[in-house]
Formats: sequence, structure tokens, C-alpha cells
Amino acid sequence: MSREPAMMTLTEVARAIAVKQVSSHEVTRALLQRIAQWQPHLNAFMSIEAESALKAAEAADAELAKGNVRGPLHGVPLAHKDMYYDAGKVSTCGSLIRRDFVPTVTSTALQRLKDAGQVRLGTLHLAEFAYGPTGHNAHYGAVRNPWNVAHITGGSSSGSGSSVAARLTFAALGSDTGGSIRMPAHFCGVTGLKTTVGRVSRAGAMPLSQSLDTVGPLARTAEDCALLLVLMAGADPADSTCSHEPLSDYVGATKGSLKGLKIGVPASFYVDDLDSEVARVLDETIAVLKREGADIVKVELPDQRQLSAASQLVLAAEAAAFHKRWMIERPQDYGPQVLMRLQNGLAVPAITYLEAMRWRGPALAAHNAATAGVDAIIAPASPVPAPTIEESDVGGGPNAPAMVQRLTLFTRPVNFLGLPSLTVPSGFTKSGLPVGMQLIGRSFDEATLLTIGAAFQRVTDYHDRVPKLPS
Amino acid sequence: MTRPTPKEIKPIAQVAGVPVNDEIAARISSSIGPAFEGFEAIAGTLPFDLEPALYPIAQTAKVSK
Repeated sequence: MSREPAMMTLTEVARAIAVKQVSSHEVTRALLQRIAQWQPHLNAFMSIEAESALKAAEAADAELAKGNVRGPLHGVPLAHKDMYYDAGKVSTCGSLIRRDFVPTVTSTALQRLKDAGQVRLGTLHLAEFAYGPTGHNAHYGAVRNPWNVAHITGGSSSGSGSSVAARLTFAALGSDTGGSIRMPAHFCGVTGLKTTVGRVSRAGAMPLSQSLDTVGPLARTAEDCALLLVLMAGADPADSTCSHEPLSDYVGATKGSLKGLKIGVPASFYVDDLDSEVARVLDETIAVLKREGADIVKVELPDQRQLSAASQLVLAAEAAAFHKRWMIERPQDYGPQVLMRLQNGLAVPAITYLEAMRWRGPALAAHNAATAGVDAIIAPASPVPAPTIEESDVGGGPNAPAMVQRLTLFTRPVNFLGLPSLTVPSGFTKSGLPVGMQLIGRSFDEATLLTIGAAFQRVTDYHDRVPKLPS
Repeated sequence: MTRPTPKEIKPIAQVAGVPVNDEIAARISSSIGPAFEGFEAIAGTLPFDLEPALYPIAQTAKVSK
């Protein structure tokens, strides 16, 4: 074995278990030991199911000994954002309102990972109802960034970003409606794939916005994200919005080269008003991609601020509609910021909402025209590295809208267009905080993003760096 | 549509079935207002013959590289 089990990538550990280099029980025990050490510092897990995880791991080992292999994740322990329903098990959705909610169905994405043989470690923390960009949670406390526990993880997939970075799970499901996979990936230094709207079924995943919600993984590498996408992607009878567009060989795509690929650098917006260290990392990333053979070109994108505005109107209206009953019956059970953002949706008239939705097609067509000839766009996932938990703890106060707007500035336009975007660890600040860049692709072309991300990771080591346990 | 005022928000919220007081209406106006202003220019120019169904068409259109 090249390294201790917890330090392996998902791809490596799955292979190591399959060839009996290491047992599922050993791997699960190793992770549980790390979780016990880190959880008091990070608050990344919502539930830790040590006993049942070890039992499931033993069962997986016994099956393997008999030659029965469930699938590519046989015996691999994983934990996911606590909004993927697992029939019969509590799914809090990070909320007080659903603290004891026991779903009767299992989400399609999760079921496909279970069918592939994953072992359930527990569940991961998230922003209340996946509606928060920082990682704060008024009910269960903030999740902390393993690179510096005084800093935020980003949200809403806060536990996913934190636990993958600290090597407490090999990968985790997140969800991305306004940046909730890409921001934790950026702030925590892990790889996060926001999929095209319709690429992965959302059946059994807690809804926030039916037009913008996407399911995707956070993992250590692009290759790991590809493995999970292969398992989860594709049409689902339980989700009529899930696309029948053909799938690609995502894992095969990670072996590809950058030669012949054209990567666009936005001429404005994504390069404006950047934190100086984020700007430096962007330049360094572009230099690496160029050195590895990519053709770097400047692109003029349509007005991204209008996309962001439309995205906010759609999200506000759809989230308010989902939450209307609880807003009437249990307003006191929401955290202040989540209630504030839900109430925003009350002000969006049906006509304004429909105008935003009518514009979605032409806006995507305009984006496609502006990016014709390029394979992907590179941009920072956020203009800033992770702020501290204290400075971003604005609750529902007057500074909250500006804070949300600033952090999500570069993620929202992609959600409105429904495009895929892969965030890869691309550097560190002088103070040791990770910085991630997002690669924005064409609809249903996750494969090209995975090619670029994997090629970048073959010649850099940012994704391999491991945070140290706080003393 | 420009930023809704607190006075405009109160009846909209009432009709939606979630009445809000003056303070919350003012906060909503200030919070979601910039999104209305940012989208206003587009909303004013949307052509008549435009349906939401155009989105899946744009999503699956083959794009030249």
C-alpha cells in the first residue's frame, strides 16, 4: 500500500479494497479514528454511525471474500450532505424544522452509490435547508475550515467540503443551487463538480429551487468526481426533469491531455475586483494550463450581473414557494438569515419570475454564441479566500445581503445558465488558505472539464496537501 | 420592474398568504431590490414570442467548437 488508507483517493481506496490490499473494515476504522479526532474541531458531521459503519464494512469484506462484488465502491466508506434522503434514517436538512424527519424514500443519487457498494459512515453538516453560502448554521453551529478553524468552509455543502479536505470521507455528495458545491470546494481546497441541470437525478434530494438545484460530488480529485458521476448520472424515472442526453466516458476523460483544448479567460467580471491572492492564483493556474498545452484565449461574456440578478429572482421565488407553509406555521424555527432570504421570495411577482425563466433560453444561447470555439472558461470560484467565521457571521442583519452577494458573485450566473462547473484546488494564500478555480463548461460536457481538471492535477499537488490537526 | 417598495411588498406578501410587517417589508425591499434592478433592463426587452421551453432547446443545441 502506497499510503495509509485515509490518505488515499476514492479511486485508490476502491481499488485497494477490491484487490484485498486493505479491508473495508480497516479503512472504515481508520476514517472513524480521524473523525473522532477532527470532529470536535470541525463540526463537519451531523451524525457519526460508527457501529453500523463497521458492521457494514465487515459485511462488505465477507461478501468480497466470497467473490461477490457489489460495484465500483464495494466497501468504501462515505458520508454525504444530510439532505439526501435515505429511507428510514433521519435527514435533518440542517434544520430545526426537519430535525426528526425520517424519509420513506432514498434519493436516486444516493441509491446509485449504495448499489455500487458504498458503506454509510454517517451524515454531513450543511447550511439550514442548503440556503447559505458560508457554513454558518443557526441551529447546529458553524462548520469549520480544516486549514484554519477560525475560517468558514463556504456553504451550503459545508460538511462535505470540510470533511473531504480533512480526509474524513473519500468523497461526499453536495448540492449546488447558487454555488453550494463550488464555494466549499474553493474555500476548503477540494475538487467539486457542479453538474449540468438535468445530468443527475434530484429525486429524493431536498429541494430548494427546482430550476437551479443540481446534485454533484466533492472529492479529492477530478478522477474521483468522474467515478462518482459515472455511477450517478443518467435518466431516472423518478425525476422527469432528469435528462436523456447521452453520457460520456467520464473516467476515460480524465486521462486526456490539454493539447488542442481552448480555454477562455473572461475579459471582465470574473477578473474584476479580485482579492490580490486570488488574482495571483488565477494567473498561475492559467500559466500551468498554457504550459501543458492548452490554448488560452480571451472571451467577452454577456453581462453576468444580469444573469446573477435573474438567478436571485428565480431562487427567491422558488424557495419561498417550497417553504411557504413553514413560513406561516413555524417562522420562529428558521435561523434569521434563512428566514430573511425566504421572505425575499414573497416580493417576486409571478410575472417577474416568469420573465426571468423566459430569458433563460436566450441567455444560454447568447452565452453559447459568445463562447463558441472554446472548450471551457476559467474563473475564480469566489473573489476572495475564506473569510473568518466571525466576520461573516452577519445573521439576518443589514450586512447579510451584501455578504451573500459578494461570496456568490461568480457562482450564480452559472446556476442560471444551468452549466456544469468543476472547481479545482489551484493554490494557497500566504496565510495557508486554499484557493480554487472553476472551469465552466458547455451543457452536458462535464467530460471536458474533468479532462482539464485531471490534467491540471497531474502536474500540481494542491489537491494532495493535507491540513494538520489543530493542537 | 424597479425595486419594489415596502408599501408594494406588503400586499404582495398578503396575497401570497404570508403577511409581513413594515419592518420586514422594508428589509425585503432592501435585500431583493438590487436583483429587480439588475434584471430590469432584460425584462423590458423580452420579445413576445418567447417561451420558457426555449431553455431545454438551447441546452441541447449542438455548439460549434
